[in-house]
Amino acid sequence: MKKLRFTPLLFRRVHKWAGLVIGIQFILWAVSGTAMALLDSAEVAGRAAPSPQVIGNAAETLLPPARLGIGTGTDALQLRMLAGKAVYEVRSKGSVRLLDAATGADVTVNAILARSVARTANGSEITSVTRMAEPNLESRDFSGPVWRVNFSDEVNSSVYISAITGELLVSRGDTWRIWDFFWMLHNMDYAERASFNHPLIIAAGFGVLFVSTTGFYLLFKSFRRREFRWVPFMKDDRKRIVTR
Amino acid sequence: MGLQVLLWTMTGFYMVVVHIDIIHGDHLVAEAKAGPLDLRQFGPPQAVLERNPGITAMSAVEVAGRTAWRVQLPQGVRLADPASGELWKPLDDSAIRDAAKAYYAGSGPIVRTTLLNSLPQEVQAYGGPLWQVEFQGWARPTLYLSPYTGELVTKRHLLWRVFDFAWMLHIMDYDERTDVNNPLLRVATWSAVLMLTTGAWLLWWSLPLKRKKKKRKTA
Repeated sequence: MKKLRFTPLLFRRVHKWAGLVIGIQFILWAVSGTAMALLDSAEVAGRAAPSPQVIGNAAETLLPPARLGIGTGTDALQLRMLAGKAVYEVRSKGSVRLLDAATGADVTVNAILARSVARTANGSEITSVTRMAEPNLESRDFSGPVWRVNFSDEVNSSVYISAITGELLVSRGDTWRIWDFFWMLHNMDYAERASFNHPLIIAAGFGVLFVSTTGFYLLFKSFRRREFRWVPFMKDDRKRIVTR
Repeated sequence: MGLQVLLWTMTGFYMVVVHIDIIHGDHLVAEAKAGPLDLRQFGPPQAVLERNPGITAMSAVEVAGRTAWRVQLPQGVRLADPASGELWKPLDDSAIRDAAKAYYAGSGPIVRTTLLNSLPQEVQAYGGPLWQVEFQGWARPTLYLSPYTGELVTKRHLLWRVFDFAWMLHIMDYDERTDVNNPLLRVATWSAVLMLTTGAWLLWWSLPLKRKKKKRKTA
């Protein structure tokens, strides 16, 4: 068998073939990276969540936790405002209940409540309110059923509200949607768009690292000294060699 | 430009190879098991709300065996007495040590604790003051705790610090390490697209494909 010699020619061949295999992804990384650098990150983040309401109105009517009639076995309990009313959020053994803090009555996050919560984040016209049993790609960072409230603003905002706790989860607009497409190309997680630690991207990352390393090496091998004659100090250097 | 492409692929490779949960240091802390709350200890919210104006949320919690209202005030999160609403004093060094040990999943001892008023770069996203608790270990695991509540704010270790450095090189924001829209990055990414396109072009022409030769016009 012919002995393998690590010459620039060998590296050039390997670089070429590895480039053929992985080149498309290399270009996709550069293009999606360029797109994400161009999209303003503040616009991608969407509208800022409204600052939370101070618990204030009719504080004297609020029930102490022990009088809510929720028995023992409460793991977590929080008092906060929800669409202008004080509510207790009670967690016990994985289940979550929302109670009116003044009466102790159960609060259901229905379409009307979801609408008024979404209203605090966006002043434009609401085009639709839909309940989803599972989060979609736009609300993938959260779990459980959600309300999606669509607005007719210039970026077609969708505001997501938890159907369990009534909390405003996130607001997504068209800038985010474009960004998210490029983020998918960048992280190669075409189904979930969330992970960048899966075998496919590790393999592709290794391939591209190989192409860039050999390319960087070949860069030094593919220039000749005379090509730098236009650089003043290189020119001087050459003269010295010639006159020696 | 070639150097930056090399840096992108190197830093990118590091970020995909080391799982993000490890980077976040999820393995450094154990999940705390809280028992059911004793709700009888909590008085009417009115007392707490009137004593501390501006509360936006309050939660019933148990901290080191004592029940408290965890209140969200404009100046940050504080703990308040469950009945009177009087705010707790900030935790001292020994209470912070106990809290940090309870969170820490590793076995090494605490090397040092420091109360920081101005925060280092690695926790610049948070508001001060914070207790910095360093543990023994090759990765220098460090927990940051709130002096007011003893809560874990965040955790840092060597692999996170390397990731943050890699991220800085990746997005080319060498000051804040957060701006993904800086002009240098925008110019560099466009140049990379150009460079890779020429690479693809050269690759295509170097392939041994049969091509129609241009007919030369003969006079």
